[in-house]
Amino acid sequence: MSDETNEALVRVSEVTRVFKTGKLEVHALRGLTLDVVEGDFLALVGPSGSGKTTLLNLVGALDRPTSGGLVVLGRDLTAMSKAERAKLRLGSLGFVFQAYNLVPVLTAAENVEFVLELQGVGAKARRARALEVLDELGLGDLADRRPNELSGGQQQRVAVARAVAARPKLVLADEPTANLDSENAEQLMAMMRRLHESHGVTFVFSTHDPRVVAHATRVVTLVDGRVASDVAKERDAA
Amino acid sequence: MTRSVAMRYALRSLRRNLRRSLVSVVGVALGVGIGLVALSWIRGEETMTINAAAGGGVGHLRIAPEGWLDRREDALRLEGWEALLQDVRAIEGVAVATPRSRVGGLLGLGTRSTHVTLTGVDAATEQLALRYVQEVTDGRYLEPDERGVVVLGRTHARRLGAELDDELVVTTVDADGEMQSQLLIVVGIVQTGSRDVDATIAHVALADVALLSGRAGAAEITILADDVYDRAALQERIAPLVSSPNKLLTWLQVSPELAMGLESDGAFLDMAVAIVLLVVLLGVASAQLTGVLQRRKEFAVLAAIGMRGASLVRIVLIEGVALGVLSACAALAWTAPLVWRLDDVGVDLGSVMASEDEGWALGGVLFDPIFHPDFGPWMFPMALLLAMIATVTASLYPAWFAARTDPANALRVDR
Repeated sequence: MSDETNEALVRVSEVTRVFKTGKLEVHALRGLTLDVVEGDFLALVGPSGSGKTTLLNLVGALDRPTSGGLVVLGRDLTAMSKAERAKLRLGSLGFVFQAYNLVPVLTAAENVEFVLELQGVGAKARRARALEVLDELGLGDLADRRPNELSGGQQQRVAVARAVAARPKLVLADEPTANLDSENAEQLMAMMRRLHESHGVTFVFSTHDPRVVAHATRVVTLVDGRVASDVAKERDAA
Repeated sequence: MTRSVAMRYALRSLRRNLRRSLVSVVGVALGVGIGLVALSWIRGEETMTINAAAGGGVGHLRIAPEGWLDRREDALRLEGWEALLQDVRAIEGVAVATPRSRVGGLLGLGTRSTHVTLTGVDAATEQLALRYVQEVTDGRYLEPDERGVVVLGRTHARRLGAELDDELVVTTVDADGEMQSQLLIVVGIVQTGSRDVDATIAHVALADVALLSGRAGAAEITILADDVYDRAALQERIAPLVSSPNKLLTWLQVSPELAMGLESDGAFLDMAVAIVLLVVLLGVASAQLTGVLQRRKEFAVLAAIGMRGASLVRIVLIEGVALGVLSACAALAWTAPLVWRLDDVGVDLGSVMASEDEGWALGGVLFDPIFHPDFGPWMFPMALLLAMIATVTASLYPAWFAARTDPANALRVDR
C-alpha cells in the first residue's frame, strides 16, 4: 500500500533475488512489489529468511535483483554501474546496521565526518556538521570517544548520526535495535522518529521487535519473499 | 595531525595492529638494509675500479686512432696529435692529458734478455696520469726532453739483473722492417706491489719510441678528469675536438675486462637485492592481505556508505606508503652507521682473498685491497625508493582485494 499523495521514493516491481550456492538456489525474494513514499516511517517485519535484509540491500543499492524492476529516487538501479550505485548511496542514502559497524579506530565525530569527507565537504564544514548532528542526538559530549568507549546504545546513535549527517532522503536500517536492551531500543526509535518528523527523513527499517513496530506509520510484512501485508497505521504514543 | 579522516583511518589501522605493522617494518627494514649495503658495495667497487683504472693508465677518457679498439695495434698513430693535445688540455675539467706511444722489442743486459713493450711518454705529465710512477722506488723518473734513458718496473729489472745506471740495449723492428737498436740507461726502478703491473712499466721518451718504431707521433692521449663524476660531461666537451681518423673512447671501452667484471658483479648483486626484496614483498603482501581480510567488514561498511573502490585502494596504499617510510627510516638506522664506518675505515679484502704478491692486479690495473663501500646522501632516497617498491607493490593486491569487497555479501556473512 502506498500513499498516493506522496511521491514514491522507491518502486520495487516484481523483484526476485536468487542466491546460488553451488547447485543450491535460495529464492530470497519471489516477485516482490512495493512502493516506499516520501515521509514513510516503514517497518519491514517477518520471520527470519522472509527477505527483509535482502530487500533492504536491494533498495540500498548494495545488491542487484535477479529480475524485476527497481527504481530508487528516480534512478533505475538495475541499469546502474557499481560506481554509479556507490555515488547514489553516498549522496542520497543512509544506512544503519544491526551491529552498529562503526569504524573502531575513529572517534564518534570522525565516523560521522567520514561520510561527509567522501562527499567532498571541507574539513571545517564537515567537523561542524558532525558535531551538530551528534549534539542533536545527545552525543555532543562523546564526540571524541572511540566506539569501544561507548555503550551499545550510544554506538547505535552514532551510527544513526552517520546515516543522517549528509541529509539523505532515505535511511535504511537493518534491525537497528536487535543488539540493544529495551530502554536503549526505545530511545533509538524515539530519536529516529524525531528525525523523521523534524527533518522529513524517510525511514525503512526491518525488525522483529513489536515495540519498535509500534513507532512505525506503515508496516509491511514479508513472508517467503513476498509482501504478505502492507498496513498504514497510526503511531502508538511515544 | 592530518585533516583527512581517510588518512587518519589508514594510519591508525597500522597502529591498531601494532605487532603486525612492526614485524612488517622490521622485515622491510632488513631487506632494504641488505639492498643498501649491497648497493653501497657495488658503488664502492665502481668508484674503486674507475679510480684504479684511471690512475692505472687507462684514464677516464682516451683519444686513440680509429681501429685501435678492435686491433689494439701499437703501430697506429693519432693524426694531428700535438694540436689535439693542446686543445684537450685547454678544456675545463681536464686534470691531465698525456700522450703515449708503444713499441715492442727485446731488452738486453749482458747475457740476459727479456721481451718488453716500451712506452713512450711525456715525462712532464706522465707522473700526473699514472700513479704507479708517481713514486719511483729506486732512482728517479724521466726528465722532460731527456733521451736514451729508461724507467723500468721491478719485474723487468729482476729478469735482466739490472740496477740503476746500467746500460741496456733495446732491439726493435721499425715500420720498414729494419732492425733498430738503442742504448738505454736505467735511471729509475719502480715497484708497485704487483709483478704483473711491474712488467708493464718500461718508460722512455716519446722521441725514443718514434726512433725505435719508425713511427713518429703519439698512439694515444690519455685524459683524467678533475672530478670523476664529471667524466660524462667532460666527454661531451671533448667530443667536438675529436674527428676521424681519431676517436674518443671511455675507460669502459678501453678496459672492457674491468667493465665486464663490474657489470657482472653489479648484475649479481642486483639480482640478490631483487630476490631479497621479492621475499620481503611477499611477506608484506601477506601481512597486508591479512589486515585487509580482518577488516573486510569495515571495508564493506565503508563501501556501503558510498566509498568507491578507488578510495579503498587509496587507504590500503596509504598504509603501504606509511609502512614504507617507517621501514626506510629503520633501514637507514641500521645501515647508515654501518656503511659509514666501513667507508671510513675500509674493508681489507686482502685478508680474505689471498694474492701471490703484495698487490691485486686485474687487466693490468692495480687495485687497493682496502675496499671502501660508498656512503653518501644517495642512501636516503634509495632507502625510501626500495622500501616504497616493497611496501607499495605489496599493497597492490590487498588494495585490489579491498576494492572488490561486496558490501552486501560481506555484511551478510558477518551478521
